[in-house]
Amino acid sequence: MSSPVTYIALSLVLFIIGAIGVTLRRNAIVVFMCIEMMLNAVNLAFVAFSKLHGNLDGQIAVLFTMVIAAAESAVGLAIILAVFRSVASVDTAESAELKW
Amino acid sequence: MSFMGFFISVFALASAIGVVSVRNPLYSAFCLIVHLLAIAGLYAVLESHFLAVSQIVVYAGAIMVLVLFVLMLLNLKTEEGRGPGVLRTCIAVAVGGVVLLVALPPLVGRFARMSVIQISDAFRRSEGTVRAIGAELYGDYAVQFELSSLVLLIGVVGAVMLSKRKNPTLGPRPGGLFAGGKQ
Repeated sequence: MSSPVTYIALSLVLFIIGAIGVTLRRNAIVVFMCIEMMLNAVNLAFVAFSKLHGNLDGQIAVLFTMVIAAAESAVGLAIILAVFRSVASVDTAESAELKW
Repeated sequence: MSFMGFFISVFALASAIGVVSVRNPLYSAFCLIVHLLAIAGLYAVLESHFLAVSQIVVYAGAIMVLVLFVLMLLNLKTEEGRGPGVLRTCIAVAVGGVVLLVALPPLVGRFARMSVIQISDAFRRSEGTVRAIGAELYGDYAVQFELSSLVLLIGVVGAVMLSKRKNPTLGPRPGGLFAGGKQ
């Protein structure tokens, strides 16, 4: 097992792929999944840094990120469902108005 | 990077590209499951075993089941013909490439050949185990741990409030978000 820095580079690439997905895709659920992907990329960087520095704090941060991601996914999917009920679409371009 | 790490990284990259590029949201979700499992494998390669297990349970299990439930519930078809367009794709990929070019050089220089620094024996013996994480979590991070349970509770209450219909006999029709709405 060589340097964890390669994993930091990998997490950078994964984060950029997720960001490209957020900007390009218009399906709200796919955008949501890309956000999850970006969160996971950051988690991977946390774990790699934790390994690099020999310190457990990074892994604790990942644990808290998972908690926040769980709450975020519950609320986010409820919002997507509510928007779908309101405008009958999950296309992000369809719900561009701030009223319903 | 060990062979196993390289192997799993290829999976993670390929499935990440799959999530972004596949047209059908359902296939996208399946690609994301593969991606999350690959990330769990990378955690295991990085010797944080507890995180690998909780990644599988929380992400690949609970969160993806939630996403798939919503996908099935909405019964979406493949996006109809309106892709992002060649120009927008090129711009997004170019911006991503620029960010990569800016951020990658510090990682591939001398820093990349730097191996693990300043590891105490106690850490090397116990890192990533449930015992070590638990001691840290209930020791230094006890307050944050309790607060995270509060965050989860608020999240659940918020989700219920958001998905509650004003009149439960109404079907899925426009105007159901809160009281009133567009008639």
